[in-house]
Amino acid sequence: MITCERLTKTFQSVTAIQDLSITIPDGCIFGLLGPNGAGKTTTMRMLSCLIQPTSGKAHIDSYEIGNKEDAQHIRKMIGLLPEVPGLYETLGAYKNLDFYAQLYGVPKKQREESIQTTLTNLDLWDRRDEPVGGFSKGMKQKIAIARALIHDPKYIFLDEPTASLDPMAAKVVREYILELKKKGNTILINTHNLSEAERICDSVALVKNRIVKVGNPKDLAKGLFTRTINITIKKIPSTLLKDIESFSLVSQAHVQGNQLILNVKNPEEDNPQIITWLLKQGLQIQFISEEEHSLEDVYLKLIEEAGQ
Amino acid sequence: MIRWKNAWIVMRKDLAEFKKQKFVIGSIVAMPIFLGVVLPLVMFVPMVTMVPLDRPWDINGLLEIGNLPDDATIPWTNKTIQNGSFDSTILNHTKIQNTSLTHCIIDSCILENTTIQDSTIQKSVLHDSILINVTVIRAEGASLDGRNILAISSDLRFIKTKPSEIDQVLPMMFNMILMIFIIVPATLPTIIATYSIVGEKNNRSLEPLLATPTTDGELLTGKIFSSFVPSMGATYLAFTLGVVLLDIVLIPKVGYPILPNLTWILSMLLLAPTACLMSVLACVLVSSKVSDVRAAQQLGGFVIMPVVLLMLGVLAGFIFLSPVMIFIFAGLYGALDVGLFLFAKAIFNREAILTKWS
Repeated sequence: MITCERLTKTFQSVTAIQDLSITIPDGCIFGLLGPNGAGKTTTMRMLSCLIQPTSGKAHIDSYEIGNKEDAQHIRKMIGLLPEVPGLYETLGAYKNLDFYAQLYGVPKKQREESIQTTLTNLDLWDRRDEPVGGFSKGMKQKIAIARALIHDPKYIFLDEPTASLDPMAAKVVREYILELKKKGNTILINTHNLSEAERICDSVALVKNRIVKVGNPKDLAKGLFTRTINITIKKIPSTLLKDIESFSLVSQAHVQGNQLILNVKNPEEDNPQIITWLLKQGLQIQFISEEEHSLEDVYLKLIEEAGQ
Repeated sequence: MIRWKNAWIVMRKDLAEFKKQKFVIGSIVAMPIFLGVVLPLVMFVPMVTMVPLDRPWDINGLLEIGNLPDDATIPWTNKTIQNGSFDSTILNHTKIQNTSLTHCIIDSCILENTTIQDSTIQKSVLHDSILINVTVIRAEGASLDGRNILAISSDLRFIKTKPSEIDQVLPMMFNMILMIFIIVPATLPTIIATYSIVGEKNNRSLEPLLATPTTDGELLTGKIFSSFVPSMGATYLAFTLGVVLLDIVLIPKVGYPILPNLTWILSMLLLAPTACLMSVLACVLVSSKVSDVRAAQQLGGFVIMPVVLLMLGVLAGFIFLSPVMIFIFAGLYGALDVGLFLFAKAIFNREAILTKWS
């Protein structure tokens, strides 16, 4: 389990992240969402023992972030994929992976088997000695992900894992991340890709130099927006909008084509009354649905509010 | 506590990357070869081929002397001659010690296990003689003909003979060439070390590397040796080639392989590595302040100033590289190395590298 309590990092006069308090349970995929410069990478670097927190506490299992003796243990438990693959471009994929496997102390036989399996899965075994500088961005990213996993870490930190991948490759990576979760790995993802976070993260934290909101991606919108009902009517009379606005249950209404869009406070209780009234007016209702707010809507609203 | 295995892994990776940089390898090898092999040959070949050189054992003596002097005495056989003064003497099976030999003819002799010590051998003839295990110690020798010596064993040694003109010139020239072999390992790391560290920064490969369980000291040590090993390797290669070729050029005149002497060996074992290490460490410090390989290399040029100062001292004649002087300078450089290592270790930490090295 990863826990952060009021974790803060300040670079001279600039506060990268302040009072970050989150808990990431084992086997969870946790997403850090935020604009550029929000402190996501700084947080990941602190948790990877690359930089020291200015204040606050963080623990990975029983090891403390910022404690020099614990740093070695923590680094062994973590696989980090930075924002940029950072491969050794003149070396082959095999040597890139072998170098890291050696540094992580993976026994020779195990690392040979592991590298062969990984490169075979990536369809790169026949090209294992070719300099990776000649590979596509997506292929480099895959090798970098393989590098982060070469020592079979318990915790995996991925900074924009699908940023440079085409949709097909990104899908493969997402599926792989979900597989890792099934295996019991705990995954922390920094991402701008909100639909990706929505699809794979169990929990997300919106950050902008501090935590804006934490929660399940699907629950984040709750209480944030007035709920909107879309009612599709076969033929909307011109007087309908005026009549419906006098309805006390409706806070806002407008017509778009043959859709009547209503903002209501409590659709579970208000909808039956509204529908009954519409039917009494002799209108033919074709469809009725509630408009869902995506994580992107939540993100933009919250980040905008945080900026203000 | 440094785990050397990790430093070794980092070094091997850097060397594997280095091997792929053909132009860098080319420059690393070409510079010492040119400065340490081509340049000395250009200096020495005309000297030995065009300038007549006086040597302790001069081949021009015999014909000038001609026949035996009239007062040549009966050959001394199986005698030990000590504290004697001999003139126009024929010596046979003779141990010569504390003896001044002038106008002597050593004719049809076998000088076996003979020591010519503190003696003067001038205008003498070694005619049809066989010299086996002969040692000439502090003996003057001019115009002593060697052309008719039937054989000289490989153990014919000259120890501290009185310096002739070439003896006075050679050490100065050797000092200058020796400085090349010290300046080269101090210069080469500015190419490799700056690439090894700044290149890693430019490549954005430092972050995953720093996330591994290696310590800062292990990474630093690996980086230092990955620059140190090829620099010294190229230097030793050029040194070996240079010495062999210089000996080939000089043996016809000097009579024996004059290099490497003690000074050169000590320089290569003590002075060159400490100078190289100083340069590597200074490049690490420079790398902490710049993010461009070219800027690092330019600045790296300044960090070899202590070696340049030594070179200027040698060229100006203020400093003569003797074994004692080498120990002094190697000690100075070694102390600087320790200081630089501690300073580099202090600034070579993960946070500084990731956030301040820009």
